[in-house]
Amino acid sequence: MSIFYILLTLAIGAYFIAVVESWAVHGRFSLSRPAFSALALFGRESILARTPDRLFFESAPVLLLVAGLLTMAVIPLAPGLIITDLATGALFLNAALAYVLVALIMAGWGPNGGYAMIGGWRFLGQFIAYAMLIVMPITAVAMRAESLSTTLIVLSQAELWNVFYQPLGFVLFWIAAMGLAWLPPLDLPNAPGELAGGFEAEYTGARLAVLRLARMVIILALAGAIVTFYLGGWLGPWLPDWLWSVIKMLIVTTLMLTTGRLVPRVRESYFLAAGWKLGIPLALANIFLVGVIALVVDI
Amino acid sequence: MTGSYAELFFLVFFGLAAVWFGIVVFRTHSMVRSAMALLFSQTAVGAMFLVMQTEFLGVLQLMMMATEMSIMALFMVMFMMDPGGMGAMDMSHQKRLSLRAGGIGLVAALAVSWLPDWGPAASNIPDAGRQVELLGIELLGRSMFIFESAGLTILTSMIAATMVAIAPRKKEGAA
Repeated sequence: MSIFYILLTLAIGAYFIAVVESWAVHGRFSLSRPAFSALALFGRESILARTPDRLFFESAPVLLLVAGLLTMAVIPLAPGLIITDLATGALFLNAALAYVLVALIMAGWGPNGGYAMIGGWRFLGQFIAYAMLIVMPITAVAMRAESLSTTLIVLSQAELWNVFYQPLGFVLFWIAAMGLAWLPPLDLPNAPGELAGGFEAEYTGARLAVLRLARMVIILALAGAIVTFYLGGWLGPWLPDWLWSVIKMLIVTTLMLTTGRLVPRVRESYFLAAGWKLGIPLALANIFLVGVIALVVDI
Repeated sequence: MTGSYAELFFLVFFGLAAVWFGIVVFRTHSMVRSAMALLFSQTAVGAMFLVMQTEFLGVLQLMMMATEMSIMALFMVMFMMDPGGMGAMDMSHQKRLSLRAGGIGLVAALAVSWLPDWGPAASNIPDAGRQVELLGIELLGRSMFIFESAGLTILTSMIAATMVAIAPRKKEGAA
């Protein structure tokens, strides 16, 4: 039954993200717009590029969707409302998200087009910048919870949310999550206005619809990860548990999507330099600080 | 044999998938396809770990291989002459040597799997949470020195490989 509820949350959440994103990009708030866009995408001809790597081209959008769904599988919406409560949940989340990279490289390589290929490899560069900033803050979170299980991680925040306990890790993880979901200002792999859609350039029709849906799921799953690791998951007064998770996730996604309106696109080399020269030392400092706090204070 | 038939079925299934993708690595002309086939071969091995209830190792395998093989694919594209395999170039070399090395490797692997006395299969498997804990204690206890020196070696070779890969820049004004 929990699978049904989680899929329902995903469907509604993905639709909400589409509404907010179109509002962030076009400046118009319309509840019906994503539905019409999806209809239009499914109605349109699905063009196949000349001499594509057909296997990669067809499987990349599906792999992207699967990666998003698997990530969602370890995110608890309420006690017991989780698809699979793995003992290694936090690590599994990393593993599933690593396949986003694989899918994007395949999508970039598949259609045999210049823009697409640049987009795909750019994401690999971006990955090298953000990857450590996903893993190292999670290490600090797991240190406090003394477990990799996402449910236990939420329970460890009963006294104090991790966003106050380890704000440094929160900021780093947030930036890395935006890089992972290629959200503006870190939208280098598709870079609208510069790379003609990047890895999306050759996708049309139903294939593009799957690709876009997959991205919505990934954004939602990352918001779920931020809520689980830093914002106390389902914990909160008065309202039912699942509602707290949903509210927090929607606030996080809205903030992630609207940031791009205010900040110019970051150049790849800047992001890489900042990720390695500033991000990793800060992440190490975060691990050290959390270790000291965990030893000294009992919360 | 403590596992069920379903366990055995999935173990065989993922095992065959791993071997098949391993064969695909050599069948395809495309370097990127080759790298991805190697990735999915390793993913199948990760799934085998999961079937054998070593959750941490399985998930770790799934995570590490995805990134490693992607980066390998990038290096293939950077350094190989025909990365897409569309020029139908034959990039294999030293065939006799590799055949012999492969044969010796196969014999060695079979010998290792058959000759030693493996003893009875583990009967009481600790649950996944306990496995993570035990692994952590092992890594920070008895095996710490081995893993730390391995980490340092890998870091050194990474830096060295990057140094080798950077093309020397010509000085301004040189011919």
